[in-house]
Amino acid sequence: MHLEIHHETIYRYDTPVSHSVQLLRLSPRRDPDQTTVHWQLEMPGTTDLTIDAYGNEQHVLTLDQPVTEIRIVAQGVVETRPPIPQRDVIPALVFRQATSLTTADDAIKAFAHNYQRLIEKHGRHGLMDLMADLLDHMPYTPGQTDASTPAQESFAQRLGVCQDHAHVFIAVCRYLGIPARYVSGYLYTENDHHVASHAWVEALTDGAWYAFDVSNACIPDERYVRLAIGLDYLDACPVRGLRRGGGAETMVSHTRVRSILHFQQHQQQQQQQ
Amino acid sequence: MHQIDLPAQTGFDEMLDRDHSIRPHYKPFFDWLNAQTPAMLGQRRKEAELLFHRVGITFSVHGDESGNERLIPFDTIPRIIPAEEWQLLEAGLKQRVAALNAFLHDIYHHQHILKAGKIPAEQVLVNAQYRSAMCGLDLPHNLYAHIAGIDIIRHGDGNYYVLEDNLRVPSGVSYMLENRKMMMRLFPELFEKHAVAPVEHYPTLLLSTLRQSSYADNPTVVVMTPGHYNSAYFEHAFLAQQMGVELVEGRDLFVKDLKVYMRTTAGPKQVDVIYRRLDDLFIDPLVFQADSSLGVPGLIAAYRAGNVVLANAIGTGVADDKSIYPYVPDMIRFYLDEEPLLLNVPTWQCRNPSELSHVLANLDELVVKEVHGAGGYGMLIGPKASKAEIEHFRDLLKANPANYIAQPTLSLSTCPTFVEEGIAPRHIDLRPFVLSGNTVRIVPGGLARVALQKGSLVVNSSQGGGTKDAWILEA
Repeated sequence: MHLEIHHETIYRYDTPVSHSVQLLRLSPRRDPDQTTVHWQLEMPGTTDLTIDAYGNEQHVLTLDQPVTEIRIVAQGVVETRPPIPQRDVIPALVFRQATSLTTADDAIKAFAHNYQRLIEKHGRHGLMDLMADLLDHMPYTPGQTDASTPAQESFAQRLGVCQDHAHVFIAVCRYLGIPARYVSGYLYTENDHHVASHAWVEALTDGAWYAFDVSNACIPDERYVRLAIGLDYLDACPVRGLRRGGGAETMVSHTRVRSILHFQQHQQQQQQQ
Repeated sequence: MHQIDLPAQTGFDEMLDRDHSIRPHYKPFFDWLNAQTPAMLGQRRKEAELLFHRVGITFSVHGDESGNERLIPFDTIPRIIPAEEWQLLEAGLKQRVAALNAFLHDIYHHQHILKAGKIPAEQVLVNAQYRSAMCGLDLPHNLYAHIAGIDIIRHGDGNYYVLEDNLRVPSGVSYMLENRKMMMRLFPELFEKHAVAPVEHYPTLLLSTLRQSSYADNPTVVVMTPGHYNSAYFEHAFLAQQMGVELVEGRDLFVKDLKVYMRTTAGPKQVDVIYRRLDDLFIDPLVFQADSSLGVPGLIAAYRAGNVVLANAIGTGVADDKSIYPYVPDMIRFYLDEEPLLLNVPTWQCRNPSELSHVLANLDELVVKEVHGAGGYGMLIGPKASKAEIEHFRDLLKANPANYIAQPTLSLSTCPTFVEEGIAPRHIDLRPFVLSGNTVRIVPGGLARVALQKGSLVVNSSQGGGTKDAWILEA
């Protein structure tokens, strides 16, 4: 599948920001089942490319001139293939470390216990049951949680968006001794019900890393593009930054993912134009 | 003649042997002491206190809500260590720190020691001190703990034991330096009678170690402090001043082009080595604790790009964790193919059910410590604890066994110390500082701590401990 992605984020500030540093994880991962055909980042200031410990491409954006607006655009085409189980990048056990966003409290632990034997016996299929039941427990509900909501809070409220689903699923896995990692990326959907900027989970089961999308209760396929993996949202989110000055901030983000059905034909046409 | 309380027959006293005769290496000091009047010695102690106040060498106590700073009591009777004992300690410390550095390199790269089954992989990789940001990162000379403070005690059996390795931001070296200066000022004649190995070149060695840690030509070194609210701020300022380098806080530094710069009146200046005296989790809000205002955003990206050295490295805490401590002798055998020269204290890991049940059955005899605890907080000393305290710890252990280790209660050696009643034996330890650069170097001496309360085994300054000057006699 060829997916054309356009991801624009605009930050606006009441008063000028004198200095800001952002970590951008806005380039698709170089994994065996996805290939970047072309990709382009547009942003102000200077940027430097680094690779973090998880193999994510990471740009460091530094702005030291006063600005009232920061506009970041990531766009390009990614070719995706049927997913293959992912390999280890760093030792798998590291993904059992609980973080403050993925700590299991008593309620999550009690929930997890119901799946312990199922997962021990059926591995990946047990985790699929967990995924479906978790979505029943906390239906997709936008606007009630934010990026800093920890797993125990969204679980107690019985609602959340993709990052909450991912955090609770991770908390359950890690509590049961299963390494699990957060994935941020893009999702192609034919309707606009879910935002195209998405998060899901990979868990180490049956000897390999398999993906689980709790918010859609499905197994990720060619419609998914991986940007970054990490221990949790903070570790893998597309933009993490800090600024000095600026007063109140408003952020507008828009992501569009289109499928290019006949990519070669499409390219030829583009060249002819 | 001074009134000297005799030490217990069961323990080891640094000055008096079992028959209460003076050990040979203390003889010249003892003779000198007897020639001084109590009035003169009292006068000198008052002088020391006044001088320390003037220097401003104070310490704010953790958990003291008033936030008051206070002076750590200084005792004028030195701990004296004979040359041949120091030679053993020095060799053992070098060996131990070499193995700990090899371990840190290994666990952030190939994990040979885990694959060989010498240490359970889970204990290292699921450890809260293991930092994924360090995975696969190559550091200059493969060094992680450039500065290590190793706590050593002498047990009643006369042997030295390593009690704890401190590989994160070990503190206390300013006391080693200031205490020596004080002793030389108060009692210059003592240094004519004794060949005491000098310690005052420590800042020079520290600076050379920090410079060696970078591949840059003529590297710029800074000391980074969390700020003046930190209990060790005095030491941060002191070391920066002694080394002649800048003392900075996070807000004085910024990252651009994956390089670290400090703001100066003459414009930005690139920094090559940061001797950082704040914990991993505060160092870069974009990677670790997001609400930390003490760190530098982007620092880890610059670090991973190889453009700056952090001393110590990120993630060293996994090697000085008390749950990893029992494996240090195995690390020495594994990486160096040598037998350990220094003894480890036998340790029960409460995470193992059989060891937990032994610990629970013997709580009144054991010392129980939190795996990540420090500063003498969160520990139980069985023989000194009340029934209620023991039962409290029994509940804690049962609720979260993996969070605790237990050790036999060691009878730390004693050293004569000035107390209200005169001179009496008090328990002591020693923290030498091991510097790893192109070579491993140790200034002969260390932070000598003393538990001032009679019978107390806790030497931490936060728990009412004091300090002494530690003399290593030259051969």
